[in-house]
Amino acid sequence: MSLGRLAATFGVEFRHSFRRPLFIFLAVILLLNAWGLSSGKMSISSGDSEVGGMKAWITSEFAQTQMMTFIILLYYGLFIAAAAGLTLLRDRETKVDVLLHSTPLTAGEYVWGRFLAVTGGFVVLMVFQMAANAFFNHIVPNASAQEIRGPFAPMNYLVPVLTMGLPFLVFFAGLSMFVGERTRNPVLVFLLPIAVLVGCGFFLWTWAPSWLDPRVNKLLQFLEPAGYRWLNETHLKVDRGVEFYNKHAVPYDMLFWLNRAWLLLLGFGAVLLTQRSVARSLRGAVASKRDARTAAAEARTGPIAWDEAHAGAALSGLGMKGSAPGFVSSIASVARCELRELVRQAGLYMFVPIILIQVLGNSLLAVGAFDTPLLLTPGTSAVAIASQASGWVLLLLLFYTVESLERERSTGLSQILYATPCSTAAILWGKAIANSFVAVVILAASFLASAIALLAQHTVPISLAPYALIWGLLLVPTFLAWTAFVTAVYAWVGNRYAAYSVALCALVYTGFRAVTGQISWAGNWLLWGPRTLRWSDLGFFETDRAALVWNRIMVLGLSALFAALAVRLFARRGTDAVRTMHRLAPRPLAVSAFRLAPFALVPLVAWTVLVFQVQNGIEEGAAKKARKDYWAKNLKTWLNAPLPDIARADVAVKVDPPRHWLSSQGAFTLVNSLDSTIAEIPLTGGLDWNHLAWTLDGKPYKPDDRCYLYVFTPPHPLAKGDSVVIGWKWDGRMPKGVTKNGGNTDEFVLPSGVVLTGFSSSFLPVLGFMEDVGETKDNKTEARRYPRDYWKGITRGGYGATAWFPARIAVTGPAEYTLNAVGVCTSNTVTNGWRTQVWETDHPVKILNIVCGKWKVKQGHGTTIYYNAAHPYNVAEMSTTLDAARRWYSEWYMPYPWRELKLSEFPALAGYAQGFGTNITFSENIGFLTKNDEKTDATFLVTAHEAAHQWWGNILTPANGPNGDFLSEGMAHFSTLLLSEKVKGPRGRMAFAKGIESRYVDRRRVDDERPMYDIDGKRESDETVIYDRGGWVFWMLYDFMGHDRALAGVQHFIRTWSESRDHPALQDFVATMRPYAADAAAYDAFVKQWFEDRAMPEYRITEAKKVKEGSGYDVTVTIQNTGTGRMPVEVAAAVGERWAKNASYREARGVATIGGGESKTLTIHCPFAPKQVVVDPDVRILQLRRKQAVATL
Amino acid sequence: MLETRGLVKVYPGPVTALNGIDLDVPPGMFGLLGPNGAGKTTFMKILAGLLEPTSGTVTLDGADILDHPETLWPRLGYLPQEFGFYPHLTGEAMLDHLLTLKGIQAPGGRAKLVRDLLERVNLSFAAKRPVKGYSGGMRQRLGIAQALAGNPRLIIVDEPTAGLDPEERLRFYHLLSELATDRIVILSTHIVEDVAVLCPRFAVIRAGRLLAVTAPSDARASIAGHIFEGTVLVEDLRKLRAERMVTQALLVEGKNRARIYDPSATPPDGFVPAPVTLEDAYLVLMRLGALPARGKRGPSAAPGDEPGSASHAASVLAAAASEAAR
Repeated sequence: MSLGRLAATFGVEFRHSFRRPLFIFLAVILLLNAWGLSSGKMSISSGDSEVGGMKAWITSEFAQTQMMTFIILLYYGLFIAAAAGLTLLRDRETKVDVLLHSTPLTAGEYVWGRFLAVTGGFVVLMVFQMAANAFFNHIVPNASAQEIRGPFAPMNYLVPVLTMGLPFLVFFAGLSMFVGERTRNPVLVFLLPIAVLVGCGFFLWTWAPSWLDPRVNKLLQFLEPAGYRWLNETHLKVDRGVEFYNKHAVPYDMLFWLNRAWLLLLGFGAVLLTQRSVARSLRGAVASKRDARTAAAEARTGPIAWDEAHAGAALSGLGMKGSAPGFVSSIASVARCELRELVRQAGLYMFVPIILIQVLGNSLLAVGAFDTPLLLTPGTSAVAIASQASGWVLLLLLFYTVESLERERSTGLSQILYATPCSTAAILWGKAIANSFVAVVILAASFLASAIALLAQHTVPISLAPYALIWGLLLVPTFLAWTAFVTAVYAWVGNRYAAYSVALCALVYTGFRAVTGQISWAGNWLLWGPRTLRWSDLGFFETDRAALVWNRIMVLGLSALFAALAVRLFARRGTDAVRTMHRLAPRPLAVSAFRLAPFALVPLVAWTVLVFQVQNGIEEGAAKKARKDYWAKNLKTWLNAPLPDIARADVAVKVDPPRHWLSSQGAFTLVNSLDSTIAEIPLTGGLDWNHLAWTLDGKPYKPDDRCYLYVFTPPHPLAKGDSVVIGWKWDGRMPKGVTKNGGNTDEFVLPSGVVLTGFSSSFLPVLGFMEDVGETKDNKTEARRYPRDYWKGITRGGYGATAWFPARIAVTGPAEYTLNAVGVCTSNTVTNGWRTQVWETDHPVKILNIVCGKWKVKQGHGTTIYYNAAHPYNVAEMSTTLDAARRWYSEWYMPYPWRELKLSEFPALAGYAQGFGTNITFSENIGFLTKNDEKTDATFLVTAHEAAHQWWGNILTPANGPNGDFLSEGMAHFSTLLLSEKVKGPRGRMAFAKGIESRYVDRRRVDDERPMYDIDGKRESDETVIYDRGGWVFWMLYDFMGHDRALAGVQHFIRTWSESRDHPALQDFVATMRPYAADAAAYDAFVKQWFEDRAMPEYRITEAKKVKEGSGYDVTVTIQNTGTGRMPVEVAAAVGERWAKNASYREARGVATIGGGESKTLTIHCPFAPKQVVVDPDVRILQLRRKQAVATL
Repeated sequence: MLETRGLVKVYPGPVTALNGIDLDVPPGMFGLLGPNGAGKTTFMKILAGLLEPTSGTVTLDGADILDHPETLWPRLGYLPQEFGFYPHLTGEAMLDHLLTLKGIQAPGGRAKLVRDLLERVNLSFAAKRPVKGYSGGMRQRLGIAQALAGNPRLIIVDEPTAGLDPEERLRFYHLLSELATDRIVILSTHIVEDVAVLCPRFAVIRAGRLLAVTAPSDARASIAGHIFEGTVLVEDLRKLRAERMVTQALLVEGKNRARIYDPSATPPDGFVPAPVTLEDAYLVLMRLGALPARGKRGPSAAPGDEPGSASHAASVLAAAASEAAR
C-alpha cells in the first residue's frame, strides 16, 4: 500500500466532506442542537424536582455521555450512512471509478482512503459539536438553566467522543460502505440507520421486562451500538442519585469495552470486505451465479449475421401507427416497470420482517393497568399496528418514491421517456401505484401476523371489519397524501437529497408537535400522538368521529392538491432561469394559483372546519378559557371556604346516548355541621350545561355566577344544624365537542356507554371550589407544603363528601340500556321505549356515579358483573375474584355495608377503573381485556385491587394532604397481596410482590423520593411510591406484626375512621396500629425506617461456598447490605426448582439481620447437596436488585 | 417544415449556449455539424421539447412547440446523445414499455412489433436479456429502435452512430434514409462523413451561432480548386501552418501529408490540387467562420462579418496568407 496514494485519496474525499450540503446541514443542526440543549431539555432523570432542589447537571460526563448516545443514533447514523454508503456509488455513477482504477491505485488504498476520509470528517464534526456544547454551556450559558450547569471540565466533553462517538462512527461508516458497495442500492444505505434507530428506540433501549434473564440483558447491552442500553441498565435505570451523576466519571466496565471492541471489529471488518468486493469487481468478477449464467448464455448466442435483404425490409412494412397513449395503459405500463424494479430491491425483503417483528412485538406486549398484559382483539391490534406501522411505511414510501422518481435520471432514460407523449400524471401515478405495493405488502403481512397472533391467543375471534375500517380510513389517506407530498417536493426541488431533507423535516416536525401535545386534529395529517386513536370494541371513535372524518377528508384533499402540484411542478424539460423569473411575476403566479385553487378548496374547507371544531371542543378555545377563568376568579376566595355537608341527594338524570345528550334535575339538602355559620355556599357547575335553572328551598333562585362557580346566599346564614335545599335543572351534550387531538374522555354519554361521576360536575353540581380545574402548566404552582402534624385535628377528605349521605338516583335511558348507579335498584320500568331505573342507597355513600351500557350479566354471591357480550373472556375470573374480595375483605377489614356490589364495563375511551360505593366501573381494557398467563393472573390482580377500594377509598376516605393516598392505593395493593396469598397461594403473592417491586425500582428517583409521610403525589416518582412501595410496606408491616395482630389493628382503624368527620392520614394509621404490635420498640423502629425515613435494602452475596459436613453440607454465605434499612432477612440454600410439579425441591434456611452498609456471614446446614443460595426466598423484604441476591454454589 | 427564430439559450453563469438561431428545416435528412461545445445538444434538446430556451420560437408545420411541447411529443422520435434504460428490464420489455408510452400500435399487435423492431436493429438475439448486460452498441441500437418506432413527423438523432461498428452504422444509415423520405430527420453529429453520406442539407453551429446552412455539394464547390495536398517534413509543418491554412495533416512514413486551403490558388512547391472533401469545407468554415462564395477567394457574406468577429478574423488571416505567398 502506497501511503502517498492513500493520502491523496483521503485528501480529496476529506476536503470534499466539508463542502457537502448534507455535512453542512448536519453541522447547523448540531449547532442549533447544542444551543437548544443548553436549556436543559435533555438531562439525567435524577435529582430533586422541587423548585430550588439539587438538579442533575447537563455538563457532567454522565449527561454528555447520555446525550452522545442519543445524538449519534439520531443524527450521525443517517448522515454518515449517506456519506460512507454513497461514496463509492457516486464514483460509479459519475464513471470516475473507471479512470481511478486505470491508475496504480489499489482497491485497498481506494477503499481505506475513502473510509478514513469520511470517518475523519465526522470526527471533526463531533469535536465541533462538543465544542459547541461547551460554548453554549459555559461561554454563553442559558440564563434560565443555571441550576443544571456544573463547572467546566474538558474531559466531560472529550471522553464521550472517544468512548461513544468514535467506535460508533467506525462501525456505521464501515457497515454503510459495505452495504453500498455490495448492494449498489442507495435505498438500503438510507434505510440502514433508520432500521438501527427504530430497533434501538423500540426494542434495544426500552425492552427490559423484570423477568428478563440478566444474561440476555447483558447480551443485548453487548449488541446495542449506541451504548445507551449499557449506560441505562448499568448506571441510570436504578437511580444512583444526583451527586453521583454530577461528580463522577462514567465507570466503564468489561462489558462496555467488549461492546466497543465489537463495534470496531465490525466496522473495520466491513471495510475489509468492501475492499475485497472492490478488488473482485476490478478483476471483472461477476456478482452472482445468475449473472454468470447470463454471461454464459450471451457467450453462446450472439448477433446474427448481417442480412442485407432483411435489414433492408422497409420500416413502413411494419404498419406502425402512433396515437395518443391511453392514460390507464400508460399507468399500467409504468407501474409494471416500477414493480419489476421494486421486487428486486433487497430492502423490501429485509425491512418487511423487521417491521413485522417490531410492530407485532409492540402490540403483543402492550400493557394496561399495573403493567398487566392486554388481550389482543382485532380492533386493538389494528389500531396498534396502524400507529406503529405508519411511521415505517411512510419512511419506506419516502425512500422508494424518491428513488423511483430519480430512476430515469440515474439510469439515463429521462430524455427518452420524457419525450414520449405519455402524460406526466400517468408517469407519476404509475410510480405511486407501484410504490404503494410496499404499503400493501406490509399491511398484508401485518394482518397475517395479527391473525396468527389472535389464533394463537385462542380467545378472541378474528374479524376483518376493524382492519378494513381502521387501515382503510386511517392509513390509506395518509399514505396517499404522503406519496403525493413527497412527489410534489421532489418535483419542486428536483434533487434526491433536498427531497429527503424537506420530507424528513416535515415528518420530524409533525412528530415533534404530536409528541409534545401541540398538534390538533387540524394539523395531525399523520394521526400521530400518544393517545390520538383510542380504540373501543364497543363503539368506533365515537367522541372524535366527526373530527376524524373531517381530518381524513382534509388529508384526501391534500393528496389531490399535492398530486396536482406534483404534475404541475414535475420538470420533464429543463427550465430556464429567465422564464422562471417571469413565471414568478405576480400575474402569472396568480393565474397558477387560481388554477390550483379548486384543489386547495377541499383541504382548506376541511381544515377550517377542524379548527372551528377544535376551538369549540372540550379542550381548547372557549372551554379552556372558561376553566382558566374559573380558576383565576375563584381560587383565592373559595379554595378553603367552609362548606356544609350534603345531608341528602335526589337526582333524576335522563340520558340519550345516540344524541350524546343528558338532562339532570335534582336537589342537595345541605346542612351546616360546622361550629361556625356559613353565609355563602359555592357550587361548581358544568361548562356544558344549557337551560340552567336553580332553586333555593324550592323557590327559583339566581346565584352569583362567578365563571361556573355558583354562589348561593341563603336568606339567613346557616348556623350549626341549619339546612337548606338547593335544586337544579339543566340539559346538555356530553362531551360537548371534540378533543384537541384524541385521547382520554373521562366522562361521556355515547352510544357505546355512559359514564358520569360525582368527581366532576358532569351530572350534578360539585359542592365547593375544584382546585384542579383550570390549572395549566402556565399557572401551576408547586404543591402546598404541609407540616408533618397537619393530620392532627379535623382534616378534610381527599375527595367526595365529608359526611355520609343517603341518595336517590332515577336514571332514564333507552330501553336497551341497563342504567346503573350507587345503591340498590328499587324500580325498573319501561315506558314508550324508555327505561327508568331508580337507585336508593341502603347505606349512605360519599360520592355518586352512573354507568350505563348494553350488557350481559354475570351474577355472583352478592356481586354482579355487567359486561359487553363481545368481552366474556375474563368474566368468570372477575366474578370469582369479586366474590372472594367481598368475602375476605369483609372478614379482614369490616363487613361490607351495602347489599350489592356491581362491576360494570365501559368503552376504553378512558383507561381507568373507579370504585364507587356499590358501583365499580372498569374500562374494557382493564380486567375484561387483560391477558393472563401461567405466571400472572392479571385479571385477578386488577379486580382485587379495585374491589379493595370499596373499603380503602369509600368506606374509609383518606385525608386531603400528604400521604393520604397511601390509605387508598397503597392499601388496595396491600389487599391484593393478601388476597393473592389467600386465593392463589404464596407463589401468587410472591409473583405480584416481585412485579410491583420491579416497577418501583425502575420508576423511583432517589433524590426526588421523600419519606412516605411526606409524599403528596405531586412529584414524578410519587405514584410508584404510593402504589408499589406503599403496598409493599403495608404488607411488610402485616408480616412483621403477624396476621391476627395486624388485622385486628386494621379493623380498629377502619371502624374508627369510617364514621368520623375527621379523615385519616398515614400517621393516624400508624398510631392506631401501634397498640396491636407485640413489640412496641420494634414497631417504632420499623415505622421509623419505612415510614419516616426511606429505607431501601440492597442485598448482595459477596461469597458463598459449601463444605461437606457429615451426611450433608454446611453452606457459608456472606451477605452485604449495600442499601439502607435493617431488617431480618431469610436466606435459603436450596436444590431443585421450587414450584415445579415433579421436582424434588429441598431447602434449608437461616436468618440474618443486616443494616445498611453492613456485611454478615451465615452458615446454613443442609441435609442435602444445595445448588444455590437465595436471599429472601419468600419475597418478604422490599429491596433493590433482587437478582443479584442469588448465588450458585 | 421546422422553423426556429431567434433561439437563445443562456445557462446560469452566464453561458450563452445558443445565440439567436434562425433556421428552416424542410422534410428530409438535415445534418447539424459543429465542434464540441458548439451548442448542438442544447439545440436538439430544445427542439425535442426537453429544454426551455431563454427566448425565441420553434414551430413545426406552423404549430408552436415551445409553449406546448406535448403537441410535439406524439410526432417525435428522439435519440439523445447520452441515454440509458432500466437495467433490470429485458430489451423486449423495455421497448414494449416505451412503445406503450408512445401509443404505438401495429397490425400484428405490439408484441410482434417489438420483435420486428428488435430484428431491424439486430437485437433479436438479446431480446430476453436484461439491458444491464448490453454492450454500448447494443444499447445504442435499442435506442435507435425506439426512436424510429411509430410514425414520427420529426426525428432527432444526436450522435447516433457513436459506439456502432461500421456494419451497424451502415444499417442505421439505411433505416434513416428510408424514414427521411417524408419526414424531417435531424442528424446531429461531429462526424462530417455521416452528413456527407446522408444529408442533402446541413447547418454548422459554432459557439452558439449558426455559421452556415448549405448543401454538402455547395460546401465542397465553394472551395473547389483551392485545396492542395503535399508532403512536408515534420519540422516544417509549424512554419507551413503559420503561413498557410492547413486543413489536415496526416503522418505517413515519417512525413506529414498535408492539405492546405489556398484561396489564391498559389500553393507552395510540391503541393498539387486535390479533390475537395466535405471535411475540408467544414474545416475551412471553422477557420474562416464562413464559406467562400463560389468564384471568389474571400469568404461569402455570413452572420457576424464585422471587425472582431470570426469571419473578420478569417478574412484577415486569408489576406495575411496571400501577403506571405507574394
